[in-house]
Amino acid sequence: MADAALACGAVAEPARGPWALRAVSIAVPVAYTAAFFLVPLAFFVVLGFWRVQDYQVVPGFSLENYRDIAGHILAQSNYGIAIVQSFYVSATTALCAVAFCYPLVLAIVYTVPGRLQRLVLLFAVAPFWTSYILRVFAWQILLARRGIINTAAASLGWDWMEQGWLNTQVATRIGLVHYLAPVLVIILYVSVSSIDRTLIEAARELGASRLQAFRRVIWPLSRVGITVSLSFATIIGFGDVLSGSLLGGGAGRSIVGAVPLFSNMIMSDYASSTNLPRTCALAMILVLILACILVAGLRAAERAQRAVA
Amino acid sequence: MRDTSKLDTAASVGEAAPSVPRRWFLGAAAGAAWSSLTIINKAQAAGPLRVLAWPGYDEKPVVGEFEDTHKVKVEFKNYIGGEQMLQYYSQVPKGTFDAIISDAEYVQKFVAQNALTPLKKADFPNLKDFHPKYQDFAPLRAPNDMTWGIGTRFSFYGISFNAKHVSDEEASSWNNLFMPKFKNKIVMFDWYLPNMSNASLALFPNNPAPYDISDGQLAQVKDWLIKLRPQITSFAPQNQGLVSALVNEDAIITPYGDMDIEMTVAGYNNFKTVVPKEGSIRWTEAACLCADSRNKELALQWIAYMSSAKVQSRLVYTKGFKARAPNMKVVEHWDDEQKKLMSYVPDPANPGRMLVETNIDKSSPRGLPVKQAEAAWQAIYNQFKSA
Repeated sequence: MADAALACGAVAEPARGPWALRAVSIAVPVAYTAAFFLVPLAFFVVLGFWRVQDYQVVPGFSLENYRDIAGHILAQSNYGIAIVQSFYVSATTALCAVAFCYPLVLAIVYTVPGRLQRLVLLFAVAPFWTSYILRVFAWQILLARRGIINTAAASLGWDWMEQGWLNTQVATRIGLVHYLAPVLVIILYVSVSSIDRTLIEAARELGASRLQAFRRVIWPLSRVGITVSLSFATIIGFGDVLSGSLLGGGAGRSIVGAVPLFSNMIMSDYASSTNLPRTCALAMILVLILACILVAGLRAAERAQRAVA
Repeated sequence: MRDTSKLDTAASVGEAAPSVPRRWFLGAAAGAAWSSLTIINKAQAAGPLRVLAWPGYDEKPVVGEFEDTHKVKVEFKNYIGGEQMLQYYSQVPKGTFDAIISDAEYVQKFVAQNALTPLKKADFPNLKDFHPKYQDFAPLRAPNDMTWGIGTRFSFYGISFNAKHVSDEEASSWNNLFMPKFKNKIVMFDWYLPNMSNASLALFPNNPAPYDISDGQLAQVKDWLIKLRPQITSFAPQNQGLVSALVNEDAIITPYGDMDIEMTVAGYNNFKTVVPKEGSIRWTEAACLCADSRNKELALQWIAYMSSAKVQSRLVYTKGFKARAPNMKVVEHWDDEQKKLMSYVPDPANPGRMLVETNIDKSSPRGLPVKQAEAAWQAIYNQFKSA
């Protein structure tokens, strides 16, 4: 009996270590997600059904906020147009950001010697360690009508180059690309650097040109990283407030029109009314849109993964 | 009869909550959304006088003398907006604050909650030095010739402009903002209240109550704003955006006012501000006594202190923020440069009067919509921004 118990113990003891490790490994991310995502999200969801009466938040279950917002989607406050503007700006920002970062990552991975890659990568992500708001203010100085770019152009006699970039959605995109680039560089670097070089060498040895090797090997194997980067950038761009406010002028012009971003409208509405439940309901719409983008991005990444497999 | 039901709502809601989750959410809401509670609790323990105020009142040159004289600590809870102020007030227990600095238009909201004690004008001898309109300021009038508050600072939402590009004549009327030269050259402060009321004044000049307009007049205000939309280059949520736009000439004119002061302080002398001929909006802050104050006598002394010319001369001329003082004797505490900057100088067009007095007469106090809900005005403002 004792031997059996000892045997059981002997068998159980080595298993307890990995089990505990697994439990901790699962508990930490779950706790993190719960603390920093699920609980705040639940907070938002619940508050969205509350009301404000005489400047006090009244708990309860009321669809009043959502009904009111629905009445403002295509009329009055025109939230619908702001959502279209946000989607247009964030999607094009994501394309620009990936178009900027992907060649940069290719250059780092395939032209920089391996021992220097980490250093170059460090430089590429250096802006990440500077304040986002300071970067936005710096772009204000650069892009303003009497800013550094236009002043330099004028001093060279290039008056044709003088543009009022500030207070347009072009400026919003510039700020967002600068904000997103360090993170996208990391995502794309992980994706591109993991491509098996023997595949590229095999393609080259079989007579493929550099372009063909890129088209037939590197590009298909980068697509998962690119898809993840695009969806990540769209999500961040859609929810961002600072660039749209400080560079886009609060309601910068694009082909959609001189319309504010949805995130800026949420901020502006809250500043005017301080109606937290209604703001939460508006934010929930934003969260749902971001969730849809995330799901679409994940599905696209899965498809890209399957295509590679 | 005092209606305490509204003041008690926050507490009673928590007590009546039927389930643990709701209690939890209420607690979390109070804790996370209004972190002020902990700050206020700390204030209750630390200081005998507690004031809910805009920033500026807590600066040492402003409050220091009062603290030294009375050997007390004044604890401030700062807010940045009237709606936020009302929420802070509504979320804390009665008696948390002894005094409030409130924008004049929100005073009646406090009065409706029986939150203020009216003040006897005789208790404030400095009132005799106030501009006549602030000796008996309409938005603060209480029954029996009393007042709900004592004015502490104010200023104007006139038109500020870059004098290199805009003449005084061009800036003299709200309706000149439609001039082709201002297309995409106007920067706006991003708040519906002053912008819509100035539009109201543009359409119905010198209306002493530009917020008290009919639905038909409001529709005209909306049309006026939407027509103005192509002229606007940006909406700035704070002064920095206005200053940046004006310095860089992305904008050359703004219906915000006082930017001449900001720009002069920043080293730019080519900016001016005028109150247009149709009039403009004027904001005012007032010191009020809380009905539930636990230290009324000290609060009254603080309000009296805030009415003095010396203190107001410091309050409205801090490093970070400049405004105007209702007490006209502030000039005795300023040098010539300060007087000129703040418009406390003779008005050439009105002998015997100071420029600031002329502007007070031409402007109307900022208010809240009277015949429509505030949300209706905000929706129109959103529509204007998206037009």
